[in-house]
Amino acid sequence: MPHSPLHITCQEVVELVSDYLEQALPADEAAVFEQHLNFCDGCALYVDQVRKTIDAVGELRAEDVPEETKARLLTAFRDWRRG
Amino acid sequence: MSSVAVIRDEAGLVERLRGGDEAAFETLVESYYGMMLSVAQSYVKTRAVAEEVLQDAWLAVLQGLDRFEGRSSLKTWIISIVINIAKTRGAREARTVPFSSMAPEGEEPAVEPERFRGAGDGFPGHWWAYPANWSERPEEVILGRETLGVVTEAIEQLPDAQRVVITMRDIAGCSAEEVCETLELTEGNQRVLLHRARSRVRAALERHLDAA
Amino acid sequence: MNAYKFLRPDGTGVFSGFHWPLPVGVPGAWVRSDVDPCRSGIHACRPRHLPLWIGRSLYEIELDGEIVDDAMKVVASQGRLLRRVDAWDEQAYDDYTRMCADRAHELARARALESWEAVIEPSVPEGGALLGFVAARIAEVIDGEDGYRRERASQAEWLVERLGLTP
Repeated sequence: MPHSPLHITCQEVVELVSDYLEQALPADEAAVFEQHLNFCDGCALYVDQVRKTIDAVGELRAEDVPEETKARLLTAFRDWRRG
Repeated sequence: MSSVAVIRDEAGLVERLRGGDEAAFETLVESYYGMMLSVAQSYVKTRAVAEEVLQDAWLAVLQGLDRFEGRSSLKTWIISIVINIAKTRGAREARTVPFSSMAPEGEEPAVEPERFRGAGDGFPGHWWAYPANWSERPEEVILGRETLGVVTEAIEQLPDAQRVVITMRDIAGCSAEEVCETLELTEGNQRVLLHRARSRVRAALERHLDAA
Repeated sequence: MNAYKFLRPDGTGVFSGFHWPLPVGVPGAWVRSDVDPCRSGIHACRPRHLPLWIGRSLYEIELDGEIVDDAMKVVASQGRLLRRVDAWDEQAYDDYTRMCADRAHELARARALESWEAVIEPSVPEGGALLGFVAARIAEVIDGEDGYRRERASQAEWLVERLGLTP
């Protein structure tokens, strides 16, 4: 951006949310971003949706390993230690 | 799906693995299997092939364990191994992520433009109607089995580059630096891919929750 | 130096969720933080910034240590809440909202901006932060950035006078 905007629109906010949560927005952009969130309930709700989306994605971390796979891998581990 | 603890003491775990500690190996497998599968599936066609990639990857992990110096995190190192094997496998199947074009291309609005007021309206660029309040829904719904199924499918539908970035960042918990190094991405490109991936998954979740 | 800070009704920071030590007859405890504008530091308002950060509860805050003036706020390495600005109550909040709505109408009618008129009254229930922005935004449509800044400045003057703040 050529200069600091005085304000941003909701349409611009939704493009910046991920960077904001990463703390990757430059200081002046983060300031207008937060200022916008202060008056705009719609965008506050949107940011909450993105946070909850990230939480839900984080829940995918653990997939149960099939027993057969685990057994096979354990055998490989024992072979490796012996070799 | 069970919730497995994040491995905090990787150095300690590596020591135990080198000592032949089977419980340590089981912990390693249980903690990282899901994320490895998700990464592999960003590069190869089917889950069956992805599982074969993982089989090879685990062997490579064991073979490399004595030489592992800990310069990167164990997690990132394992992911790199998966990616290398998956790339080779994917190339053989004529389906790869062309690495020169890992960079995000084109435009992809996070939210359809029609949901915002237009240039001729008062308050241009602002919401016509506000997004729904997901905090009003019980947590069990947002993090429940059905919703996580929607999230899983949304991730599977992502373009490959977006898929591997969101998998490494938001599923595996790798740092931005680790992702940039492993995937040879600039910081800016990594952020764009992550932003697009998260936006698409949010949209999929929204369609599901609004229909409920 | 003294400044002002909006908090949520429960005394937590609007963006940080941080639980501020509240003043009860005596100032609250000092809170310290490294200064890195918009990433860390104690955020506060000079009177001219108040319209940008309208919230439900207003406090006077004493700032010390490293203090950095930003375009939209002031950031410091330490701060403590001195007193709650009790004059900023429900009534004052509603009066401010109404004042901004009336100004928005006045500006929109002066230039026959019907599409903006249609936004004003439905937005009133959302309160002063939004209506303050709407009024300033309409002023900007009419008179560019200067119009926006002037409108924000008069909103700040209204608050300083109504709440008996040190300008």
